[in-house]
Amino acid sequence: MTERLARVTASEQTTPVTGELASHPIARGTRRSWRRTRRLTFGALVAPAVTVLFVVTILPLLYLVGTSFTPLDLTNPASLRWAGVANYRQLAGDDRFWNSVWVQAQLSFWTVSLQLLIGFGIALLLNGRMRFLELVRSTFIVPMVLPPVVVALIWKILFTPDISILDWTLGLLHLPQPAWLADPRLALWAVIIADVWEWFPFVMLLLLAALQMLPEEPLEAARLDGASSWQAFRHVTLPLLRPALIVAALFRLIDSVKAFPHIFIMTGGGPGTATEVTNFYAYLEGFSYTYVGYSSSIIVVMLVVTLLMSLAVLRLSSREIEVE
Amino acid sequence: MSMVTVTVGLIFLVLCPVLFMVQMSLRTGLEAFRMPPTFPFTPTLQNYSALLEDKFVRSLVNSVVTSTSTTALALLLGVPAAYAFSRGRVRATGLLSLWTLATRMAPPIAFGIPFFLLYKDLGLIDTRLGLVVIYLTFNLSLVIWMMRAFFDGVPRSLEEAAYIDGAGVTRAFLSIALPLSAPGLATTAIFTFLLSWNDFFYSLLLTRSAAVTAPVAIVNFMNYESWEWGKVASAATVIMLPVVALSIVVRKYLVRGLTAGAVRG
Repeated sequence: MTERLARVTASEQTTPVTGELASHPIARGTRRSWRRTRRLTFGALVAPAVTVLFVVTILPLLYLVGTSFTPLDLTNPASLRWAGVANYRQLAGDDRFWNSVWVQAQLSFWTVSLQLLIGFGIALLLNGRMRFLELVRSTFIVPMVLPPVVVALIWKILFTPDISILDWTLGLLHLPQPAWLADPRLALWAVIIADVWEWFPFVMLLLLAALQMLPEEPLEAARLDGASSWQAFRHVTLPLLRPALIVAALFRLIDSVKAFPHIFIMTGGGPGTATEVTNFYAYLEGFSYTYVGYSSSIIVVMLVVTLLMSLAVLRLSSREIEVE
Repeated sequence: MSMVTVTVGLIFLVLCPVLFMVQMSLRTGLEAFRMPPTFPFTPTLQNYSALLEDKFVRSLVNSVVTSTSTTALALLLGVPAAYAFSRGRVRATGLLSLWTLATRMAPPIAFGIPFFLLYKDLGLIDTRLGLVVIYLTFNLSLVIWMMRAFFDGVPRSLEEAAYIDGAGVTRAFLSIALPLSAPGLATTAIFTFLLSWNDFFYSLLLTRSAAVTAPVAIVNFMNYESWEWGKVASAATVIMLPVVALSIVVRKYLVRGLTAGAVRG
């Protein structure tokens, strides 16, 4: 908020200065060349970064698209030859690929829903308790800033029977003590639980910030009109929080598609293919079975979907929700 | 139940898994697996001293060197660009935003495959340089995005005054805007450092032994030394500590950094 104010003041201050310079009779000629130098300097400041960005992001992606049209096999360099859409045709009929899409859909659906539910719930619970806000902010960020490897290891330990306090607690409560990671029906849930724990604080912090930015007046007005607190929440708070909720959901959705370290460390995609998401399947095709060409085509499909989702984020957040 | 109890309870519940691992790292081999854990216990640094004699130290050095170098490089390239995007009338904000988002959202393997193929030909597999360069794929656009927001927050009036005194753009940038956005610079540096430090995928794909970073080295404990849980727990604690400390420093900007590209600060 303060930044936005500063921006407005700054642009207002530009005008009088330029006006002063322009009215100066001697300055007029030099002013044009000064402006040119200024523009060139800005260009020189931007050029290295944009060049490097282009080389490290755009070129590799074009190369990836290229390899997706070849049957490239790591063990055979001669296989780098044009094969048209063969990979994509094979992909359309690949059951293991479609299974990975289904696993991914379940993982994304459950992690995003649970994170929104838990994150929003706790944000509402803590909203207004300013005394604890700093402490809460410092502790709740811990899961999401941990190296993903550490998160995966923590939950690998917790889901391993005999050495885990989780297992012991379940036993104490006379509940079943399953071998989570070895059970095809539970392995995906183990991954989901780890991911929810890691990322619900993100949703919570984003919504907590949005809640604190809410204007007082509409709620005040609703109360004066005799709205119950549920009605005020349902018809005033919730619509005002909509952009923040959407951004939180989309960011979590897109990140959920990148799930890798958890699956690599906790389950290795198994048992069988029970936790093999698309990203992980592409990794196996490319680097366990060495079919990099085929792997590239899987990733290109994922990238197209990701790009569409990024555009959705931009469109939906263009109303500029504010954080902090 | 009072709010205090609820809040404290929630904090404990959230931190419980981490605390469980940390206490595990402070126990000797067999004692770590006794359920329920006995309290109080005499903590021992046995696992940590075992780590010191391991190749793990080398991987930790690799992590520090690659994360620091890539942060320096990304700042060197990105900060001037961010300044130009903030002050010059560059009409590329929409494109920059999409670029930042897209590179952040693409699964790492999208860059992993082409870089792997290229590094194989260039002999850059298993080198720190290779990691430093590939980390720019996510660091550089993040630096530009975050620093531009910080520069936007610095009032232009001082620079305008410097222009009247005959200073050029470069001098206004270096001696006025840059010092004024020092806190932003520190925050951005911490962010890029953390993202690189936390990387698992690129290190797994592009290193073998010489340039292996700490997160991948831990996984190797699991493969070759048949699950030394105490060692795994202590190594995980070691790579986690700087992350937690630095994150608490930048906690106010965390959500902003994580939503870079979409949400204006």
